[in-house]
Amino acid sequence: MNDDKWRFDPEGNPRGYIQPKQLKELWFHTGTVCNLRCSFCLEGSKPGDNRLNPITLEEAKPFIQEALALGTEQFSFTGGEPFVIPEMVAILEYALDYNPCMVLTNATEPLLNRLHQVAPMAKKPFPLSFRVSLDHPDPAKHDLFRGQGNFHLALKTMEQLHRCGFKISIARQVDEGEDMEAVNRAYISFFREAGLPEDTTIVGFPEFHEPGSNPDIPYITESCMTTYKTEETRDEMMCNFSKMVVKKGGRMRVYACTLVDDDEDFDLGGSLSEAMKIRVMLKHHRCYTCFADGASCSEI
Amino acid sequence: MRDAGVAPHAVRHVEVINGELFVLSLERNGLEFVPGDCVALHTDGGKSRPYSIASGNREDALRFVIRKMEGGEVSPWLMDRSPGDTVQISPPFGWFRPAQDIGDAPFVFIATGTGVAPFLSFRSSFEQKAPALFLYGLRRKADAVGAEQLAGWCNLKLAISREKTEGHYHGRVTALLEEMPVRPGTHYYLCGLESMVSETTRWLEEQGVDIFHIHREVFFHG
Ligand SMILES: Cc1cc2nc3c(=O)[nH]c(=O)nc-3n(C[C@H](O)[C@H](O)[C@H](O)COP(=O)(O)OP(=O)(O)OC[C@H]3O[C@@H](n4cnc5c(N)ncnc54)[C@H](O)[C@@H]3O)c2cc1C
Ligand code: SF4
Repeated sequence: MNDDKWRFDPEGNPRGYIQPKQLKELWFHTGTVCNLRCSFCLEGSKPGDNRLNPITLEEAKPFIQEALALGTEQFSFTGGEPFVIPEMVAILEYALDYNPCMVLTNATEPLLNRLHQVAPMAKKPFPLSFRVSLDHPDPAKHDLFRGQGNFHLALKTMEQLHRCGFKISIARQVDEGEDMEAVNRAYISFFREAGLPEDTTIVGFPEFHEPGSNPDIPYITESCMTTYKTEETRDEMMCNFSKMVVKKGGRMRVYACTLVDDDEDFDLGGSLSEAMKIRVMLKHHRCYTCFADGASCSEI
Repeated sequence: MRDAGVAPHAVRHVEVINGELFVLSLERNGLEFVPGDCVALHTDGGKSRPYSIASGNREDALRFVIRKMEGGEVSPWLMDRSPGDTVQISPPFGWFRPAQDIGDAPFVFIATGTGVAPFLSFRSSFEQKAPALFLYGLRRKADAVGAEQLAGWCNLKLAISREKTEGHYHGRVTALLEEMPVRPGTHYYLCGLESMVSETTRWLEEQGVDIFHIHREVFFHG
């Protein structure tokens, strides 16, 4: 990491930072391979993509154990589409013996085809939950990017998961200037259709920009962190209480949070305890989205 | 962004089946895969699309059954390849495993067009196992890839939608399915067009088939 660029913004001001406190949630990136090829994808994921490599159970195990020693309360999984990777079910089987787990999924064929393997996990010692991407409450808008029929397919999968006893939330995109409550209300009829509770959690995400992009955003300085944030709101930032493990170039690495795996400066090494000691400088364009919009992937 | 992990495979040949339908054969170079797996095939310009492997896991060649999409970024480029050219391919991946984790339960294969690919791979990989029924939907009889190989192996029925042919059902594969008995405990493997896969799923569920017994792979949406 280039020390000066890490610690100071281009105008020479010390960057705002987060000194992580307690690792409550450990995320695994299962790889950028996905069955879909959504043009807006935050990760640039698509079929056959290998920017981030698929993980295996043997590779995940040491991080699960280290996280448990650090008191982690939840394991969460994102991709790509986690159910595309061959060992996803085995990883969950293992992790659910120790902590609650959450999987972010597009709830299409990779999960639907494995329902018979997933269903028995409702009996594991800890609960498994799913966060399904349903971009818009208008099926045509969802399908425009994710493929014809995939909105209703996701609903069908959600219905089955709910029947099996798993908790479900949904993730959606928040458009600038939208009436958030009205959009959220528009989902209710679909929740009913799938037999889900009407108050199913909806997690909204703002525009995050593609990996490797360099949008023009303001710098976050050290003084921003005290002027615009309190200790409580600083603590709510994901890099304070979570880390993400990714496999890149064949090596398992710990990144500062779920949103910055395209910048090597946020590669905090090969161990969680070392990574938790490192002050995270808020230099990535997605840090600004977190800082300004309070975006968080976490549900804990 | 160029993907990491792709490897060059030499083209053996491109065999045109009918019009825009062709079989692309590449050197396998020892690539390990499971029947039902896909790989992403890359153009020299770095564009990629997934294609299902149609050859068996004991063969030297890697084969793909591809329909050229007019104006498409990848399939026309693939059709233009010649022996000795190379195509970059990703590591295999997949979520469709025809009849591989259902023990001795009976199973049925249903394909439209190029959706036959994973079933051809299954045929060449597991010669001892065969579906109780194989429904293969095509526009024209000349589009049938591997039909002879399949007919000698299982109860194959072609549904040909755009021409009448002696001895074959004239119509869509979804209509032919409705004439077939639905036996309890059977697993259904559907591959091809989204409209076929969705309609078939709906119909099977209406007949009481558990969604856990319906396995899907969609090649073309809409
Ligand atoms: C899991 C999986 C497995 C698959 N396996 C196979 C297989 O075995 N065999 C096979 O043939 N296919 C398979 N496919 C489909 C394949 O991946 C490609 O989608 C297909 O070959 C078309 O790709 P293309 O790059 O040629 O066309 P694309 O560039 O993707 O375009 C597709 C069509 O849309 C049109 N189009 C493109 N852009 C626009 C636009 N902006 N506006 C309007 N129209 C537009 C093009 O003219 C073209 O007709 C599979 C797909 C999946 C998801
Ligand atoms: S489903 Fe998700 S991970 Fe896959 S391409 Fe779409 S946005 Fe990206």
